[in-house]
Amino acid sequence: MQAIFNAISRFISKPTDGKDDSSERFLARCDNFRLLLAANNKALEIMAEMTEESQSGSLFGMSHVRGQSLKVAAGVRQMIERLCRMNPGKYDALKDTFNRIVLEMETAVVDHADRQQGPLVLALDEINAESISEAGSKMALLGEVCGELGVRVPLGFSITASAFRLFMDSTGLDDEINRLIQITDSIELDELYALEASIHHAIDLAAMPQELKEAIETGCNAFSADKDTVRLAIRSSALGEDSSEASFAGQFLSVLGVRPDNVLESYRSVVASMYSATAMTYRLSRGLREDGVIMCVGCMEMIDATAGGVIYTRDPVGKHEDALIVSAVPGLPCAIVDGTENADTWVLDRESLFIRKAVIVDKKWRHVVSATGGTNKERLLGNECSAPSISNDVVAWIAGIALRIEAHFDCPQDIEWAQDHDGRIFILQCRPLAVCEVQGEPESLPEIDKNAPFAILTDCIPSSPGIASGHVFMVETDEDMLRFPEGAILLVRTAKPRLSALLPKAAALIAEFGNATGHLANIAREFGIPALVGAPGAVDRLSRVGVVTVNAKTGTVYLGRRDDQMPGSNRIQVAPRNNEVVTALCRTLQFITPLTLTNPDSPEFAPENCVSLHDITRFCHEKAVAEMFRDGDRPGAKARRLVDKGPLQYWLVDLGGGTSVSNEDEYVDLRCVTSNAMRALWVGMTTIPWEGPPPVDPGGFMSIISEAAQNPSLAPGMANEMAERNYFIVSRNYCNLQSRFGFHFCTVEGFAGDEPDRNYAFFQFKGGAADKSRRMIRARLIADVLERQGFIAEVRDDALFARIEGVSKEAVERALAVTGYLLVHTRQIDMVMFDNKACQKYRDKFDTDIMVILNLMQNDNECSSNWRRES
Amino acid sequence: MKKIRLLLVDDESDFLSVYTRRFARRNVDVSTAATGKQAIEAVKSTRFDAVVLDVMMPGMSGIETLKKIKAIAPDIPVIILTGHANSEALIQGMGGGAFDYMLKPVGTDELYFKVLDAIKNRLVESD
Repeated sequence: MQAIFNAISRFISKPTDGKDDSSERFLARCDNFRLLLAANNKALEIMAEMTEESQSGSLFGMSHVRGQSLKVAAGVRQMIERLCRMNPGKYDALKDTFNRIVLEMETAVVDHADRQQGPLVLALDEINAESISEAGSKMALLGEVCGELGVRVPLGFSITASAFRLFMDSTGLDDEINRLIQITDSIELDELYALEASIHHAIDLAAMPQELKEAIETGCNAFSADKDTVRLAIRSSALGEDSSEASFAGQFLSVLGVRPDNVLESYRSVVASMYSATAMTYRLSRGLREDGVIMCVGCMEMIDATAGGVIYTRDPVGKHEDALIVSAVPGLPCAIVDGTENADTWVLDRESLFIRKAVIVDKKWRHVVSATGGTNKERLLGNECSAPSISNDVVAWIAGIALRIEAHFDCPQDIEWAQDHDGRIFILQCRPLAVCEVQGEPESLPEIDKNAPFAILTDCIPSSPGIASGHVFMVETDEDMLRFPEGAILLVRTAKPRLSALLPKAAALIAEFGNATGHLANIAREFGIPALVGAPGAVDRLSRVGVVTVNAKTGTVYLGRRDDQMPGSNRIQVAPRNNEVVTALCRTLQFITPLTLTNPDSPEFAPENCVSLHDITRFCHEKAVAEMFRDGDRPGAKARRLVDKGPLQYWLVDLGGGTSVSNEDEYVDLRCVTSNAMRALWVGMTTIPWEGPPPVDPGGFMSIISEAAQNPSLAPGMANEMAERNYFIVSRNYCNLQSRFGFHFCTVEGFAGDEPDRNYAFFQFKGGAADKSRRMIRARLIADVLERQGFIAEVRDDALFARIEGVSKEAVERALAVTGYLLVHTRQIDMVMFDNKACQKYRDKFDTDIMVILNLMQNDNECSSNWRRES
Repeated sequence: MKKIRLLLVDDESDFLSVYTRRFARRNVDVSTAATGKQAIEAVKSTRFDAVVLDVMMPGMSGIETLKKIKAIAPDIPVIILTGHANSEALIQGMGGGAFDYMLKPVGTDELYFKVLDAIKNRLVESD
């Protein structure tokens, strides 16, 4: 679009050969009018984009929604400004209307988080389930089980939501982070990595408020007096984290083994982890709002664990009925959740706590708290490798605790635990567990697997159910992550949580190490992606094998695509349509897209009755055309009527060089038009006569009746005068046609000069009388025809935007002829767009006719000779 | 054609250097200012054809700067270009006489053509 205005600007900037002041002003007024049209087109284009985004399921965040709505608003405000310039003072009321609508729109999407200022830190014994808005779910639930159930939890405190807001607001980080997200406006992983680095840098540089520093230091005083030996776990407890719909499992940072004097730096790191590329991808994929995210942070004494693990109070995959699953590793449980080690697993009956099944794996490492900070890995020796991480008694004990927690919260739980050297069990966190439906008969297999000869990996433990097929792509490095193709099977050695950034693109996940209770498996279940986590030999057997089929019901991987295994995709909609971001977008659209101001002749057609930005565009467009072409008292402002054999319903404004007669005449003869762009357009419009409206099928007729009932401007007798006039604005190489043919609105514009870089043709088309689906089919049909003629065309809803740029003068002339033809010949065909056959009929006719017109133009060699014949 | 004299006002030095280079290739004579105060000094001493102005800057805000620029030279078109999607800035900026409000990221061509539009539109302002 910018090329359009550049071309015009260039034209207008040319010397005017002694034109007087009034001509100069007239040209400037034309320019002002074009700016208004440009702003109108831009605003409508973004409105159409937003409408499509609200329906398409594509991924975007709140910064995109805000950016888009502000771009529409800026375009509309630009229209108001241009209209006000046309007649100072007359339309000023629009500005107030605009301000009201925009502010209401802003208020409607504000995240209504409780912003009351509270304490900066809260001790764990002050926290319970009511404290979620300050302490976040993770810490609040921990406080709850400690206080209400007497369950043992580590000593600790929460750095609250209020603390986070203080940090963000007092340092300006809030604005800066929003700015960085806004200017990135991308969902591509490589750009999100760059964004992550920028945000982390900004957070690193931000000064920690003194009162927050002091509050955290005071919190740390509650720990053991020996500051040299105590080590802390600094854990994320973000608002919205750990819900059953969005666990954010492993998305945010936990820093382990932190010395008390390093808590502030770790706090900074945990806050920054909200903006990791992985977390941003997760939010985008789940349709969760990134604005207003709040990171509460838990600060807890580390348990020097002899063993630790995870308990699921139900089987999340739905394979084991009425079962509780305990997993454990020697040392700290972090090795389970971050997927670095395979774990021992017990399946228990929920009623009797009888151990139905125990899988004791070979283990190599134990993670321990390091004396110098952080954690260390220690190699396991001798029997330690094969011995169970905990005894059956301990398994039953922690299972009992887990069931009490589940009963308290009345929903299945995912619980992390640790046992210390004194044998005490500590609960480190608990959160709701999403449970898949039971997959048919529990643990049943088909009697005969006819694909068995193709099985290359069997007996893997399913971590997320489902079946999928695709190319295996092994990811080992960050570079591999960036190259990961859409729809591939993600093969990894270790089920690291950061790999979750790839899950929205992956057909299935296979990890050699890790287990079903780890974070990555958790996210795979949320995304509905089949996953086998903890699949021994997977990397060796699956690397470079090409296409495989993953059956995560039976734990089998087959070579090639096994169609009979595929029951149709069971993948859930990753970003459900009613997600937070789409909901906010729809709320925004209520202030943008509804068109209520439809009848320009009605007394209701007034600024104060505009209820949406679309209404304002409609009002501005209507009034601007009137100001530009009707107001004859302004010098040179009068458009001249085109005549051929008699007067036509077309008016023309010549910016210079577009006609061979004086601007003062009331009429201009077609033969006097010298604008090559308009001539080409006219050739397209007139070479093949329009056959009249298509014979309407009853459905199409009903469709138009019903549409007219909803839209008063379509009703008989309501057609306004504007509908009958079409305006050409022309210069030597330029033509712009604003038209309303029947019920649809069109803009055609083109510049066809000697420099290809500056040339373009543009076609915008919207509306119609039939119902929306028929209008959409017509728009798509026209787009197809234009694309075959070299246009880049986009259809959004029932609006079509097509352009061709940087081509020769002759190519633009041909393009304009094509648009001229389509302008005339697609009239009312929306009413017969009821099936493929009808579409195909018109497609064939259009292609043939266009070929005829283009051949004629070519044979005549010059548009001008063709022109002479037509005129 | 006479060179366009453009003032870019932004506290982001990378933005200033990148766009100065890009505009120079389009035969635009670019001056830069990192703060509102610097921008006002520049406007006092030089007759610019247009100003591209950031909103969030340390010290004087873009909106405040706009007001002062308009007080000094009412007919200089000012284009607001910001990374902060904020409707208040849009309302105040346009209400304060800005020619247009644009959001970053913006393509060089898009900004360049906007500057051309703004300069051409001055004729209407004086109509």
